[in-house]
Amino acid sequence: MARGTQQQPAYEPVDASPVKSFFVSMLTRDIKLEEAILDLLDNCVDGILRSKKRRSAQKPYDGFCAGIKYDKDMFEISDNCGGIPWDLHDYAFRMGRSHDRPADPAGAVGVYGIGMKRAIFKMGEECLISTQNDCHRYEVEITREWVRDEKNWQIPVRPAARDMRHDGTTIVVGGLYPGISARFSDDEKAFTSELEQMVATHYAFIIEKGFSVKINGRAVTPRPTRLIFTKKPAGKGAPVIRPFLFKATANDVEVFLAVGFTRPIPSQDEVADDQREKRYSSIDAGWTVVCNDRAVLYCDRNELTGWGEAAVPRYHTQFIAISGIVEFRADDASKLPTTTTKRGIDASSPLYLQVKNKMREGMQVFIEYTNKWKGRAEEAKAHMRAGEPLSFAEIKAEAERLPLRRTRRAVPQGEQYMPRLPLPKRLEPQRRRISFTKEVADVQCVAEYLFNDENADPCAVGEECFDRLLREARK
Amino acid sequence: MKHPPYHLRPNKAVDRFMLIEVLLRVRKAVNLSEYTYYGLGGPYLEEFRLLSEFCPEVKLVSIEEDHDTYKRQRFHLPCRNVRLRNSDFKSFLSQFNSRDRRSVFWLDYTRLEYSAFEDFMSLLGKVATGSILKITLPAEPRDYSSDEKRKEFRARFGEVLPNPWDSPPVEAEQFAYLVQGMLQVAAQRALPSAVGRIFQPLSSFYYADGVGMFTLTGIVCLIENVRVAREWFRGWPFANLNWRAPRRIDVPFLSTKERLHLQKHLPCGRHPGRTLTKALGYIIDEDRRRSHAKMKQYADFYRYFPHFVRAIP
Repeated sequence: MARGTQQQPAYEPVDASPVKSFFVSMLTRDIKLEEAILDLLDNCVDGILRSKKRRSAQKPYDGFCAGIKYDKDMFEISDNCGGIPWDLHDYAFRMGRSHDRPADPAGAVGVYGIGMKRAIFKMGEECLISTQNDCHRYEVEITREWVRDEKNWQIPVRPAARDMRHDGTTIVVGGLYPGISARFSDDEKAFTSELEQMVATHYAFIIEKGFSVKINGRAVTPRPTRLIFTKKPAGKGAPVIRPFLFKATANDVEVFLAVGFTRPIPSQDEVADDQREKRYSSIDAGWTVVCNDRAVLYCDRNELTGWGEAAVPRYHTQFIAISGIVEFRADDASKLPTTTTKRGIDASSPLYLQVKNKMREGMQVFIEYTNKWKGRAEEAKAHMRAGEPLSFAEIKAEAERLPLRRTRRAVPQGEQYMPRLPLPKRLEPQRRRISFTKEVADVQCVAEYLFNDENADPCAVGEECFDRLLREARK
Repeated sequence: MKHPPYHLRPNKAVDRFMLIEVLLRVRKAVNLSEYTYYGLGGPYLEEFRLLSEFCPEVKLVSIEEDHDTYKRQRFHLPCRNVRLRNSDFKSFLSQFNSRDRRSVFWLDYTRLEYSAFEDFMSLLGKVATGSILKITLPAEPRDYSSDEKRKEFRARFGEVLPNPWDSPPVEAEQFAYLVQGMLQVAAQRALPSAVGRIFQPLSSFYYADGVGMFTLTGIVCLIENVRVAREWFRGWPFANLNWRAPRRIDVPFLSTKERLHLQKHLPCGRHPGRTLTKALGYIIDEDRRRSHAKMKQYADFYRYFPHFVRAIP
């Protein structure tokens, strides 16, 4: 049959409606279980921001708490953070965020409307959400049948069976997937350790501001990064150990950045030891990025935060003392440079790229100091002793008293404080460093001979050998 | 290289026998000739001597870094079928290939370092199913008595601490329990249940022959076979199959004459500490309570208690 005469089929509109299994099985693969649980905690904190309870400026989350419990059969998170208002019920349970949803409270982090649902479907097929907000107490139950029914998108709502002591929400997930159930039982020790670590680091700022998180009944202790800050210099204009600071406001986002030292710089022996075998499994070095009080990146030491880029070297153990925190704060969470999982940075965000320039600039100050004092770590320790480790909030308070300079030609424009760090005097040309390696057994043998202690410090053994021979040579 | 007299440490001697006990129980279900033992036997190859005596079908490989100690090992060879390797353990581990054959490893460390946990995790991923791993680590709370040391402890071991921000406990038992928890975290990280294999603990002890030590023995098995492996150890009084707190080994120093005297009262059922103290007619420690505890230890472990005697070579 000739092509031109072929009968055309009757084209009909195609079905582009969402498929439930996409949300239940696919979207959940983008996120780790621990991150999914942090999403549920984010919802608790967003609830606090919505609540009308008066909150102090210093401890805005004081009195609010969330409890997480799990075992091989179920997961539960309950909070006293205000509950889900009835006027949000049409939006809170939808897959994705609709345009007509009422504006979020200032400082919230939810943007995409998937966090809670994704976390639930990551874990299991059944869920009961009970919430109480003012005079409304209701329950929403997701059943296995509902999850498997592709056509039914309506979830029934019913009055809550019992009263709660405080306005808040309880989510109980059942019908756990075998892999999740195993992590809550067979792998419980490792899973709890990892979850506690993530909550303690990513929620450090919120917990320090009064929020409380309990995991299986045990309260999580926050682990904030503290930078060494010398409050009183030896004299006016004298060099001190203080962080590099930068603050700016761009596109309604407030930015505050601090980078400095968390500890004295490492000795060469310490660096060599760490290269031979991993000495520290958990360190504070690197960048922590905080968006509206939640850490979205913790102690990162890659190109994402400027390491190994431009004039900044790749991270190496010799930079173990350098740590930075950059905070982004916005009433409108969509302006924050985070990814959909809220545990990562949108590396292409123009604001983040601009701030990253400042992060690298600040890091270089401390890299330079580390390089200048390389091999003289003991002397450099004295500088650190004059300072004290301060939390990010304390550094921000100190920044109010520091002479910050305006940076008009930088993008974003802002104010910065560049510390004047102590620099070593020029090395005397008469002094030379001697270093060599010998067999362990030989070093122990000489150590025993010199100090009656085969475990004496190898540096001391080498130095004593030299001093003895020097005395001999001078005779 | 100088070595402490490992072979004269009574608690460590009991611990060595506990490994033999594990193997004897495994032997009831599996032919031990399928196993190769890898250990860091030190100059006297003490556990190799025991293994060649009680489990002669197990193939034996010793790994020793120091060349002079290696030469001493050649001198002390307890039998012909011990293969001596002059290599550091890290290099050995990186080249280790189980070739699907079962192994028994004893990772015996003299320093508590994060690298020991890395070795343990690496080995768990490499050994064949059915392999037995024993790891011994210093567990001395006095090493972490200052704030600075405690902070250092958290920075070093944060990745494997059950509660990453807890301070190391000051009690020996609690400290040993923490080290066990750290090994449990490491085991679950190395073999998450999704992999289908787990590290099933079999026994755990803490003791001090001068310095506090913790030791854990377990078997790598398929999840569906865990129940079978547990069954092998049912009724063994020293089994720890559920990560319970470790058991203490603290055997008393008794003369041969005292031991011979006590022999006829053993084994004793109820109140062994009191019964044996009464049999001796005097206390052997500072007070009655401690003396009873020591005698209870003797009643528990007397079959593994070493005899130190003067001998004419």
